[in-house]
Formats: sequence, C-alpha cells, structure tokens
Amino acid sequence: MAEVAIGLRSTGPRSTGPQSTAPQSTAPQSAAPRLPGPVRVTAGQVRYQLTLLMRTPRALLAGLLLPGALLALQLGKVQHLGSHAATEALLAARVSGLIVLGTMSIAYLTHASGLVTAREQGVLRRWRATPLPSWGYFAGRIIATVLVAEAAGLILLLVGVAMAGLHLTAGAIIGLLIAGTLGALALAAAGTAITPLITSAQGANPLLTLTYIPLIIFSGGFGGVSGLPSWLNTVMSYLPAQPMIDAATRALAGTGGGVHLMTGHDLAVLAGWAVGGLLVSMRFFQWDPHRAAHARHLAAGTEARSA
Amino acid sequence: MNAIVVENLVKRYGGFTAVEGVSFTAAAGQVTALLGPNGAGKTTTIEILEGFGAPTTGTVRVLGTDPRARGTAGRAWRSRIGLVLQSTRLDGQLTVTEALTLYGSLYPDPRRVSEVLEVIDMATDAGTRISALSGGQRRRADLGIAIIGQPQMLFLDEPTTGLDPEARRRLWSVIENLIAGGTTVLLTTHYLDEAQHLASRVIVLDDGKVVADASPEGLRAMGGVPVIRYRLPATAPSLPARLAEHVDRGELSLPSADVTADLSLLARWARQNEVDLTGLEVGSPSLEDAYLALTSKKEKEGALTHG
Repeated sequence: MAEVAIGLRSTGPRSTGPQSTAPQSTAPQSAAPRLPGPVRVTAGQVRYQLTLLMRTPRALLAGLLLPGALLALQLGKVQHLGSHAATEALLAARVSGLIVLGTMSIAYLTHASGLVTAREQGVLRRWRATPLPSWGYFAGRIIATVLVAEAAGLILLLVGVAMAGLHLTAGAIIGLLIAGTLGALALAAAGTAITPLITSAQGANPLLTLTYIPLIIFSGGFGGVSGLPSWLNTVMSYLPAQPMIDAATRALAGTGGGVHLMTGHDLAVLAGWAVGGLLVSMRFFQWDPHRAAHARHLAAGTEARSA
Repeated sequence: MNAIVVENLVKRYGGFTAVEGVSFTAAAGQVTALLGPNGAGKTTTIEILEGFGAPTTGTVRVLGTDPRARGTAGRAWRSRIGLVLQSTRLDGQLTVTEALTLYGSLYPDPRRVSEVLEVIDMATDAGTRISALSGGQRRRADLGIAIIGQPQMLFLDEPTTGLDPEARRRLWSVIENLIAGGTTVLLTTHYLDEAQHLASRVIVLDDGKVVADASPEGLRAMGGVPVIRYRLPATAPSLPARLAEHVDRGELSLPSADVTADLSLLARWARQNEVDLTGLEVGSPSLEDAYLALTSKKEKEGALTHG
C-alpha cells in the first residue's frame, strides 16, 4: 500500500482523526489558477472521443460495411449505361446516396445509441461531477463523430473512384466536404436531441432504426424512389437526409471544375437541424440514467400511496 | 469554518417527502459521515449537496457556494470538489493513466498523474484499461479521478460498497492518506465500522430527518445502557433464562441497566458450572447498537443532538 499522503488543498485545520505526517498542500492558495479555456476543453474532448471511437471501431465499420457492399453491387449496373454524362450523373447520385447512408449510420444511429448507452451506464453522470461544461462534452462528441463520418465518406468516395472511375475534381471534394460536414453535424445534433426520448440502451437501436431506415429510403439513399406522393417528397426535403444527398450529388456531378455548393434550401434545412438540434439538446438533454430517475419516482409513488 | 451548511432542507417528489427539514453543518478539515437506512433521505441529501438535485425549500451551501450554480461559477465550484459517486462508470476503453490525464485536464491546477497513481496504489496498473480492472481497482481509479483536481471537499458516496474486505481496507488506507492531507470529506456508508474508523462526526438520518448528530463515541453513548458481552465456550451449559434470551450465535450481548446484578448472575452461573469467563467485557453499546436503536421506529423519540 502506498504510504504517500497527497497534499490537497485544505479548507481548514483538521480537528480530529489520523494525524498527518504528510507534507501539506504545496498548491498556491492566493492566486487561483484559471479554468482551462474552450479550445483546450474541446480539443481534449475530441481526442478522448476519437480514442473511444478508434478502440471500438463499431461506428466506422457500421458506416462502411453496408454502404461499401451496396456500392460494390451497384457499380456494375452503373458502368453499363450508354452515355458518359448519364453514367457520371448516376454514379454521382449512387455514391452520394451511399455516403449519406454511411453518415447517417455514424452520425445519427451510432452517435445517439452511444450517448444513450453512456448515459445509462453512468458515464455521463461521472462527467457531470467535473468542471467539464456541457457544451464541451457535446462539442467533443459531435466533432469526433463528424470527423469519423467524413473519414468513412472519404473511403467510400475512393472506392467509387477506384472501381468505377468516378471523376473527382478539387471543387467536388470541397463541395462534398461542406455537404458532409454540415450534414453530419445536422444528423448528430438531431441524434443528440432525440436521446431524452429513449429510456434504455436496449431500446436505442430499434427506435433509432425505425426513424433511420424510412428516412434514408424515402430520401433516395439507395437510389431514386419513384411514385412517392408529393407531400412525402416535400416532407423529406425538410428532413436532413435528402438535402444532404442533393448537396453531395450536386458537388460530385457538377461540371466545369468549380465548386458546386448546395442550394439555399438545402443549406437552410441542414443548418436548421444543426442549430435546432443543439438548442433542444442543451435544454432537454438528460445526463442521469433514466432507470435511476424512474426508480426514484416509482419509490416516491409507492411511499406516497402507503403513507 | 464550515465547509457545508444545510438549513431546513426539504425535498419532495410529488406527494412524497424524501427529506424533511434537515439542518446540519460540516466543519472544514473533518470527516463527517452521513448514515441512515435505505429510504432515510441520505442519497437525496447528498445528491443536492453534490449539485445533482435541487431542494424544494431550504438552503444549501458547499464551500460557500450554492451547488446549483451554473456557468463559470458552477465550473469554478466543481473544480474545488471531488466526487466518488455511488453508481457511475468510467469508459472502459481508457487506461488508468489516460483517464487521469483526461479528467485532470479539466482542472486549473491538477495533481501530477504519477503522484495520484502512487496515492491510489495503482502505479503498476497505470497502463491497464479500466475494463480489465477488478471492482476494487475501479473504485480506486474513480477515487483517483475525484482527487486529481486537488479538491478542497471530497464526497465519498458508499465508496466501499461491494468490495471484499481486503479491497475495503486498501481503500480505507487511501482515504486516510487524503484525510491526513487535510481534505474535508463527507462520507456516506452502510458500514458502521467504516464510519467508526474514518469519521470524526456522524450524522444519522431516518425518515428524512436528522435523528442524531454526534462524534462516534457520543453516538455510542446515546445508544442506551452499558452492554455485557461474552463469547460462550462451545461446551458451555445453558445460561439462566434472564441471560439466555440475549445470546445470538454463541455470543451473549446483554444491555444492562444493573451491571452489578447481571454480572453477579453470570459469575454465579460460571462458578457453578466451572466455566472460564476470560473475554468477558462490559462497555458502551457498539456504534451498531446505537445506530439500530436510533433508527428503530419503536424506540425513536424525536431528534437527538449530542456534541
């Protein structure tokens, strides 16, 4: 057993108990050191979240395996189209849809279920016991998620280039980067905002999948969907997946070598989801395990009835 | 100087009152133990002191600050306290060193990681992932995180629950080192020997109220009449009925209002049956006797206060 007494900052003299033979605090008592600033806090949290994501590569794999397999299956069909322009356009749409599929899997599904699991395990409560500001945790987690989603998107893009000869310009890469970043941010914010509604880690994946699958299908993630009612198309255009697919397709299929930025509508929708999701999260996010709160209320109800 | 001031604290959940008019102070530099049976209001009180819950009415100050402080004031306050919570978990993918470094980066003047590792006796486990640690080691890692920021006030919420006796003793040793350094500690525990061993003051809650506030010795004195204790030899004949009814698992534990008369009765029985009385003790009730007497509803006669 280590017989080292740590020299902690004391609030006053100790009146009773074991006698100290240890050196007292050497910490400065007068000039209080400042709390770490936002950059240091955020950088530390991003590094931490990336470490977790790399050591449990579930997120990256989830964002790569299904889209990668679908991309490989679809490339054959695309290559058999007659005109070069049509082939390029279809290829861009397919790759864009599958990149968004991967991004949704990472930034929405895995991100939100990971948050619920961390909350239910008490990991988030441990963070709440420290000087970490809530924005620091959100920023770290969301930035790390966006970075992993972008890495997965880049890998899918390279698969498209290598296997189907997808034409890639600097402008397309910039456009994709903007669409991918804003889209992943919007999805991660939406995923964070939905977590208060999910009451257990076991229930997270089914509930999130229930929203994720229809959204990606009706938004065209697996290819264009014809015959949809116009109202459904309108609804989809205000949810994050379709604007992100549109923006990515626009960036990839654009001609002339310039940067083909997303439309104002797509930008507004994605920015709205990002900002709205973050605001809702800051207001309603739950740090404590749901089971603890539930047990407390249950106990209170039982006691009240028996009183 | 008081590190904790609680005045008329009331906490209600709907129609159920969990804490009813609790008032106490905890002096700086002391270890104060908060005891009570399940449902006594102990966890509710400590959660409010830790800033995780809001009082319905009443005033709470920890290190002169309202624990519900938010923003920079809240962060500054959290940087001055350390918490070992009852049910939290650290990310299992991090090593002990990584976790200490990460959490330490949030504090203005963190302790060196190597020093904390030595204090919590985990220098040899520094590179081990938390998921690979035993329950006792995880508890010590959690304690390391609680002290990495050099807290002035340390909350230990059932720190040794679920640990084997050896792990408990090792953790006690770590806590004693911290106490020796002058840290103010608020300890909650179900183990009365732990309170006796570590605390200089004991506050007992029952039914949401303070029923005792005393030193461990003072609390024992409040437990009532002296107790005659004697471990019976395996071959001892039956005791007289007056004594036999106080035998439990081979040990006589007799609360005695007339020690002389009861000792005479025991001595007469021993002489008649040629039984050796070596090991016979007459003393104050144990802390457990006193605690049980205080928290037993039938014997409760309202709040007691004892210096």
